[in-house]
Amino acid sequence: MRRHNIAALLGLAVVAFLAVFSQAEALQSLRATKYVVITVVVTPSPAPVGFLRPSAPAGARQPAAVAANDLLANPFAGPRRVAASNTAWDVAPGGGTMVAQSTVQPPPVPVQFVAKPDPNSIYLHVIPHTPELDVPYGTTNFACAFEVYTFYDKAAYALNDYGQGTTKSGTGTYPIENFPTTSYLSWATPDFSPTFHAYWNSGAPGEKVWTGAMNQAQQHCVDLSIVVPNVLPAGTYTAVIQYNLLVN
Amino acid sequence: MRALSALLVAVLLAAAAAPRAALAAGSTTYGSAVVNYKILPSVHAQVVPNYAAGFGPQGGAGSGSSPAPGAGAVLDGGTVDFGNVVVGYQYIYKYAAQVSVQTNDAAGFVVYAEGATDLNGSNPVPSPSTFPIFQTLYWLASNGSNTPFTPAKSFVKTMGTPIAGGAMGIDYSGVGGKPSAGSVVWSYPVSGNVSQGFDYQLRLPGTIPTSQFNVYVVYTVIGN
Repeated sequence: MRRHNIAALLGLAVVAFLAVFSQAEALQSLRATKYVVITVVVTPSPAPVGFLRPSAPAGARQPAAVAANDLLANPFAGPRRVAASNTAWDVAPGGGTMVAQSTVQPPPVPVQFVAKPDPNSIYLHVIPHTPELDVPYGTTNFACAFEVYTFYDKAAYALNDYGQGTTKSGTGTYPIENFPTTSYLSWATPDFSPTFHAYWNSGAPGEKVWTGAMNQAQQHCVDLSIVVPNVLPAGTYTAVIQYNLLVN
Repeated sequence: MRALSALLVAVLLAAAAAPRAALAAGSTTYGSAVVNYKILPSVHAQVVPNYAAGFGPQGGAGSGSSPAPGAGAVLDGGTVDFGNVVVGYQYIYKYAAQVSVQTNDAAGFVVYAEGATDLNGSNPVPSPSTFPIFQTLYWLASNGSNTPFTPAKSFVKTMGTPIAGGAMGIDYSGVGGKPSAGSVVWSYPVSGNVSQGFDYQLRLPGTIPTSQFNVYVVYTVIGN
């Protein structure tokens, strides 16, 4: 009786083991990887506000305004100013003389590369549309910032993504950051759903973007939404998203 | 030195201006003159490709191949030659170019860098024969920790006129005499003898044709 119980327990353990690991094995082989590099240029906002003086009625121009306007049209038309001796003028005013800035142009730098075909592109490639996001403070959306193409001819597949370089307990930088900080950059695939998801930023295996059947070719737009917090200094930042094609 | 020059000139002027009568009488008349002069600002600059040991391309993660410098790349000269790279992947070229500037301009200088052209394809010649340099070739200040994904700024194609396809530089006379404001890569606020190194990044989109590509990056240094 006791042997029967042990055998039954062992059997259950084997079944449980197979159940767990057969699921874990599902779509666990990495077939191809691509990185989408997005440059984020944050510009100060809101734009400076200026006030314009209301225009004077026709025929009522003041002498001072006339003189100022004439001076704008021709800065050297006004009363002559004479350069004083022993002064530090770079250019004596009134003469309209120009001094050329010193300019030098050393021999150029030749740059060369040989672009070779990508053997993985038949399975996974990216079509960029907006590689640079010029954004003010606040939230900005970009429709179809890029498209992703997937295909696999030997099995079903899944496309996953996550912030490149992120880990379960690491540190990150704007805009994707690292868990537990939520990414400031979000994505949506409108072919499936308009809902934006903050990019996964705790490393592999990442989040599922879509799945495909064997021999199913798909190409979908990815919309982006980015939040620029008010405390972020203006400047250039980079978001790198890693896309993995996982197959059986 | 300035005082000596001024004194010398003053003496000469005084001598030249002395009345003949006084000279004839054997007496000496003294005078003074203020001489102001300005030392014109000068700027000299050199650019050295592959300026440090360890130069060359890195990256291409996921492409299945590792990059190596092409044959045109030699230490302290030659070409910034990425060698073979794979379409759709990202690379960094360490220690691509170093700009050295010597100037007596107390207001410093500004360094601009632009592509003389877009990327020129050859072997085989793609159609169209060029590919935009903008958002393909990037620059960033050299730093040992730079990677293909470190934030960088894109080179732009010049609005000026390339001379000999860019091999002899860019003529800016038709566009206000200087490069566009957006192509500034380095500003220095005072005079000095200083250097700055730059790395280049190559972010190849999946749409770039397979071919050999060349471009000249032209640095222009202007005193403030």
